[in-house]
Amino acid sequence: MLRWTAAPFVLAIAVLPAAAQIGNPGFMGADTRFDEPGALAPHQTNNSDRLFARLIAAGGMAEVEFGRLSQDRAEADAVKDFGRLMVEDHTTAGDKLKSLAEEARIPLPDKPDPDHARMRKKLEQLEGEAFDIAYIEGQIVDHVKTVQLLAWEIDSGQDAQLQRFAAETLPTVLHHLQLARQVHSELTGSVPRDTLAAAEADDQEQDPAR
Amino acid sequence: MPSSKRMAAYLAAVGSAVVSAALVSADPLPPDTTYRPLPTMPFSDAKALDEAQKPQVMERQEQLLRQRYDLADRPMNGVMMSGGKNAVQDGVRVRLPDGVTWDDLAAMTPEEIKERGVLPDGFKPLPHVKQTAGGQVFPDRQIEEIDRQESRNLRRFDVDFDLPDHLMPEFPPPIFLTTHPELGDVSRGELLTIKNFYEILNGIITPVQMEGLRLLLTPFPQEEFNQTEDRKVADQSLGVACLDCHSNFNTNGAFHLTPDVRPQASRFRLDTTSLRGMFNQQIHGSKRSLRSIEDFTEFEQRTAYFNGDHVSATRKGANLPDRTNQVAMMAQMQNIIDFPPAPKLDPFGRLDPSKASEQELEGERIFLGKGRCGECHIPQTSFMDNNMHDLKLERFYKVGETVNDFVMLPDGPIKTFTLRGIKDTPPYLHDGRLMTLADTVEFFNLVLGTKLAQDEKDALVAYLLTL
Repeated sequence: MLRWTAAPFVLAIAVLPAAAQIGNPGFMGADTRFDEPGALAPHQTNNSDRLFARLIAAGGMAEVEFGRLSQDRAEADAVKDFGRLMVEDHTTAGDKLKSLAEEARIPLPDKPDPDHARMRKKLEQLEGEAFDIAYIEGQIVDHVKTVQLLAWEIDSGQDAQLQRFAAETLPTVLHHLQLARQVHSELTGSVPRDTLAAAEADDQEQDPAR
Repeated sequence: MPSSKRMAAYLAAVGSAVVSAALVSADPLPPDTTYRPLPTMPFSDAKALDEAQKPQVMERQEQLLRQRYDLADRPMNGVMMSGGKNAVQDGVRVRLPDGVTWDDLAAMTPEEIKERGVLPDGFKPLPHVKQTAGGQVFPDRQIEEIDRQESRNLRRFDVDFDLPDHLMPEFPPPIFLTTHPELGDVSRGELLTIKNFYEILNGIITPVQMEGLRLLLTPFPQEEFNQTEDRKVADQSLGVACLDCHSNFNTNGAFHLTPDVRPQASRFRLDTTSLRGMFNQQIHGSKRSLRSIEDFTEFEQRTAYFNGDHVSATRKGANLPDRTNQVAMMAQMQNIIDFPPAPKLDPFGRLDPSKASEQELEGERIFLGKGRCGECHIPQTSFMDNNMHDLKLERFYKVGETVNDFVMLPDGPIKTFTLRGIKDTPPYLHDGRLMTLADTVEFFNLVLGTKLAQDEKDALVAYLLTL
C-alpha cells in the first residue's frame, strides 16, 4: 500500500517551463544581479530561497530521524512502512537540496529546528501504539506545513533551480500527506479522510429529473 | 471502532500533544505565506524589470494557451450574443492528447484517465498570465474605452490580457432592467462610466439606484492600481471601479486570482462573473458563499480589490462603503439587472414547444435527464440551485503539479452559476478554462460520466443557446 513510485517527479518535470520567470520585482532585494534586464544571474537567491532551503533541510533531516526511530519504536506495520518511505524519500530529496544549496551558497542547518527537536524528544519517550499515533499525527502536521512551504517557494523564491526542486517535490509531499492520513485512519479506526478525493467511483444514477 | 487499548494509546498521545502545545509555541510558517510583503525596490526599478520581462511572460502564456486550445475565430452560423455585436463561437476548442478521442475518454474511468495522464490540459485549472504577481487584468477594449472616456489608465506594464476578443463577451454588452422590460437594452450601445451614467439612466432608475450606480462606477484604490510604489500601472492611479470588470453589469472577461486561497502559487484564476439576474441569487462569490448582495458588495473592497488582505488594503487606501447609506444603494442598483430576453422560455424556465425546435427540445430533455445538468441548474430558479458543489475534478489528474508557476490543486466546492444568458458570457467555468459551450458539454460529459452521443451533445449546445 505504501509503495511510492517516481511517477510524480517525472510528470512534474514534464510540465515545467524551461526557465522559471522572475516573480514580482517590486519585492526583490536591492542587490539582485541580472545578466540583462529581466533575466537574473544564475543562483541569484532571495530571502525566501534561503529561508526555504533552511526550513526544508531541517524538516527533511527530522523526517529521516523520525523515520528511523519508527523502525524501533512503532508497532503497526503500516507505520513502519511509512517511516521507511520517509527515510528513503527524504534522504533522496535532502541530497538534491544539499547540492542545490551548495551551488547557490546557502548554508544549511546541521541539526533539526526547535519544533522538530521537541517532537523528537517526545517520540523518544513513546513506544507501541502511543508512538504510532503521535508519530503519524506529527507527520500530518509536518506535511501540511511542507506543502505550504513548497508552494511558497514556487511563488516567492528567485533561484530557478530551487523553485524547480520545490515544484518537483510538491506532488510527492502531497502523496506522503495522503498516506499519513490513511495510516492515521487505520490506527484510530476513523472514517478515512482522503483529502485528495481519491478514487471513489461515483455510482451515477441516471434519474435526475426533479 | 478502536479497541479500548487503542483508545488509551490515542488519548495518551493526544494528551501529551495538548500539554506540549500549551507549554511551548511552535514556529509559524513565514508571514508572506499568508500576507503580502512590503515592496523593497524603488518603483522605477520594478517597472523597468517588469517591462523587460513582459514579452517573455506573454510568450509563455501564449504557448500554454496554444498547447491547450484551438483559439481560432470560428463563429457559429447566424448565432449572435444578445447585443448583436459578437458571434457565438462554435465547436470544441480544448485539444485532445495524442491518440485519444472524446469517446475513448468517456469510456474510461477517472482512475484510468488519471493513471494514463490523458485528461486534456484544457480541462485543468487555467493559470493567470503571471501567477507570481497575480491581480486584475483587463481586456484591451475595456482599457481603451476607459482611457477614452475617463483618461484613466487600466493598462499594466507587467502583463497584458491573454485571450483573443472573439472568445470574449461582446463589448460593451447590453443592459436589461427588471424594472423596464419594455425598454429592452438601455445602454444605448455605450459603456457605462462615471462620465456618462447620469445622462443615460436619468428618468429610468430611482435616486437610490442612481447613487448606487455612481458608487459602482467610482474608482477606488486596488492592489495593482493605486498611488503607492506597489502598483502595476505607470502613473499613480485613482484605482478601479466595480464595473471595470462587470462592464455594463455583465462581464468583459477581466480576470484575477481568487482572494480565498493562500499561498499565492495555489490561488486559482477567477473569470469575472456577470451580475445579470442578481435579484434571484442567494449566494455570492465563487468560494465564499456570502449570503447577500449587500455582504458581497461591502466585502469586495477587501477581496476583489485587495485579495483578501486587509493589511495591504489599509496601506494603499481601503474604501469601506457605509452599509446603510452606500452599500444598500449599490445593492438596489445591482438587484434590478435582468437576464437577456429568452423568448423561447416559459415563466418556469422551460422551453415553449410551440417556439422551440425539435433539436432544442431534445437538448432540454437531455439537460434534465441523461446529461444531469438540471440537477444543479434548475430551470425554475434561474438555472441555479443556490448551492456550492465540488465536481472533484482531481479524480482525473494528479494534483500538485506546477504549470507556469501555478500549483494545480483541487478547486473544492464552487457555487452553481446561472445558465441564463450563457451564450453571452464566454469563457466558461469559474476560471474561464473552457472557451465554448461545446467545451462545457464535453467537460461535464466526462466529469459526470454521462456518456452522451454526439447528437445528444449537439442538442445540448442548441438548447443552451436558447437560455
